[in-house]
Amino acid sequence: MKAEYKQRQASTLSRRKFLKVSVAAGAGLTLGIYLSGCQGSPTPTPPPTSPPAPAAIPEEAGLLEPNVYLTVDRRGIATIRSFRSEMGQGIRTAMAMIVAEELDVEWPAVRIEQSPTDPAYGNQVTGGSVSISQHYSILRQAGGAARQMLVTAAANRWRVEAKSCRTESGEVIHPDGEQRLSYGALVDAAAELPIPAQREVQLKDPQDFRIIGTPVPLYDAPQMVKGSAIYGSDVSVPNMLYATVARCPEFGGKVGSFEAASARAVAGVHDVIQIDSGIAVVADDTWAAIQGRAVLDITWQEGSYADWDSASIRQLLAKNAPQPGEAAADGGAALDAAYDIPYLAHATMEPMTCVADMRADRCEVWAPTQDPQAAKRRVGFITGLPQEAIIIHVPHLGGGFGRRLEVDYVVEAVQISQAVDAPIKLVWTREDDIQHDFYHPLSYNYVRAELDDTGRPAAMPGVRSHPMLFGVPTGYWRSIEHFTEAFARESFLDEIAARNNLDPHELRRELLPARASAVVDLAAAQAGWGSPLPEGWGRGIAYYATHGATHVAQVAEVSVAPDGAVRVHRVVCAVDCGTVVNPDTVKAQMEGGIVFGLTAALKAGITIKAGRTEQSNFHDYPLLRMDEMPVVEVHIVPSDEDPSGIGEMGVPPIAPAVANAIFAATGKRLRRLPIRAEDLRGA
Amino acid sequence: MATVPLNANGQAHSVEVSSDTPLLWVLRDTLGLTGTKYGCGIGACGACTVHLDGNAVRSCTLPVGQVGGRPITTIEGLSTDGDHPLQQAWLAENVSQCGYCQPGQIMAAAALVAENPNPSDADIDAAMSGNLCRCGTYQRIRRAIHRAAQEV
Repeated sequence: MKAEYKQRQASTLSRRKFLKVSVAAGAGLTLGIYLSGCQGSPTPTPPPTSPPAPAAIPEEAGLLEPNVYLTVDRRGIATIRSFRSEMGQGIRTAMAMIVAEELDVEWPAVRIEQSPTDPAYGNQVTGGSVSISQHYSILRQAGGAARQMLVTAAANRWRVEAKSCRTESGEVIHPDGEQRLSYGALVDAAAELPIPAQREVQLKDPQDFRIIGTPVPLYDAPQMVKGSAIYGSDVSVPNMLYATVARCPEFGGKVGSFEAASARAVAGVHDVIQIDSGIAVVADDTWAAIQGRAVLDITWQEGSYADWDSASIRQLLAKNAPQPGEAAADGGAALDAAYDIPYLAHATMEPMTCVADMRADRCEVWAPTQDPQAAKRRVGFITGLPQEAIIIHVPHLGGGFGRRLEVDYVVEAVQISQAVDAPIKLVWTREDDIQHDFYHPLSYNYVRAELDDTGRPAAMPGVRSHPMLFGVPTGYWRSIEHFTEAFARESFLDEIAARNNLDPHELRRELLPARASAVVDLAAAQAGWGSPLPEGWGRGIAYYATHGATHVAQVAEVSVAPDGAVRVHRVVCAVDCGTVVNPDTVKAQMEGGIVFGLTAALKAGITIKAGRTEQSNFHDYPLLRMDEMPVVEVHIVPSDEDPSGIGEMGVPPIAPAVANAIFAATGKRLRRLPIRAEDLRGA
Repeated sequence: MATVPLNANGQAHSVEVSSDTPLLWVLRDTLGLTGTKYGCGIGACGACTVHLDGNAVRSCTLPVGQVGGRPITTIEGLSTDGDHPLQQAWLAENVSQCGYCQPGQIMAAAALVAENPNPSDADIDAAMSGNLCRCGTYQRIRRAIHRAAQEV
């Protein structure tokens, strides 16, 4: 997992490097590309050395399309293309805010549409919380280029210097301060002008920002509350059939033989076919496909993991790793401890789903995916179709959290559509989703620190993590190994503090650089660190910088009942993510990250028995609920540093903050997740 | 297969389905009312919440044959154009993240405020704890219900 992740990061970096090179070579970023406006038409990326292309005459006059990121039409409406997937993190809104800021239009003049897959956008993976940090400058340039062309068009008409004109709210203003031309009236003339090279685009002074830094409601929210937003599971195409797949419950297992007669006898069932991942039942509607699958008689061929269970996996990992107590045995002033993380499921509210329409010469797919380009490559690989014959639409994702970086469900849908020669909607039930996830890996984590004579470590202790990355499928889970590392490191710091009578907040201040310390200080101050709490309550603090970016500190207030039940009453969160694009989204992502982390800390883990997942639905893989929701307060550190990500960063600190608060309340140290009442009874 | 009468959002329908089909799939697959979502199929997440006779029910476990001609309201029928006070409050509080569970949340909340126009936090806990949100929007849902209650 880690290696592949690093590889993805590397390809992202090389893309950034390419952009810088291409800019230096005067290629003008992707601004030299003119798209015909036809959705889904692939656009070649020019080689870095190609000169800027001249502005093409738009096929449909009245549309300014200076680059792949936006168009402006005669009404002055700016249509901004989101090339990343929307899964609740507000990326469509945030990217459009950045373009609209530099274009200088009012937010109501903005429309957002989902882009096709196109190499012109570079990497379209929505993961790693990098969409804003990697594209902030590119999107500013994209909007600024359009604004500059509109200004030039107005200046030409007025026969004045472009530099003497300014813009405001979708209008160019004459140097006399009186005459105005709306963008809509200028698009035809602007579309004839050469597209400015990136270095020629004049960007706004951040002091003049009117959209960036203001709380803008999510663009798609009105459709969401009316039930009209289209998620992958809501897509419908003519003559579409519905499909379910029976997969081997044991990891690594395969279909031995199967009997389809009883499934075929279910009213509404059309077909029963074998695909790579199992047996598919294709029917008139979802219920018939579910009913048909229920009566399939399949003999599975066992895989190699039949004797695997969570305890034996943990034992295997710990066997060759350092054991807690070694530090004490060495005789020096050292401390060590080991922490356990279980497998964890994504449990997106919308289970995996995909609509596929596979024809002889083309394939059209509606996939709620975080990686449409990977989907396209995989569809090409399994069908033999050229990339230009494959169209991937990305509807709304009903949650992603890293699960939808995998494209297993896309492969299934295309294989089924191909086999039955009809468009199909693949439906995963919740049981499919919980039992065939790519889990956050189970891990054994050892931490050790040498302490000086005041009981302090010389530096932040490093975590030696031993995750199980084979056998049980694992993948990217919101904040990946940072979740694990934060629990181990931040719990361990608390252990050091407790053993040596140090204040956990002070100890972190001593170990962290200034920018991180300021975040810890803000969380502590807002939480009233050190102030009295009711009897039986405790307060815990944790800090973490996920992916090394975005500093987050959280303070949790917790009580523990005599029966061991943990109640988290309040969480105070401080965050420094550099320049803030949409402060309300930053707050929402911190709130959501805290709930995601609390579910992992307090609710259930995934356990493996006999090579299969024991849990199957929300009754045995429960999520945090309304009546368990603490009060969450989010405080943003004002900053003009480069923007950094927020999607994952709220998750890692909460589990250790809660565990440390439990220690403060009870004196009981918890070194495994999820936190269990049985570990705390009578504490 | 059976011919089943349905009264959804004030419209009379007659659908050809097997009568054990959960109402959810008839709404989504047969009537095209996809605002009501599938989340678990066992009544454990609330994504499929609709009103039957004005009461919040989980449509994923309710066989369509048991509905009869009783009035069903889905998110599409809650208001004429998203102007129910709860929908407006949801927008004012910026509740939605991925948004997938929100139609079910709003339908559960609408049944609550119809019966209890000024719910306490405890009332909200009791009425809303069966509606899961993986994005973690609970705090904003609570605020939105309080806001709407003041405006009703």
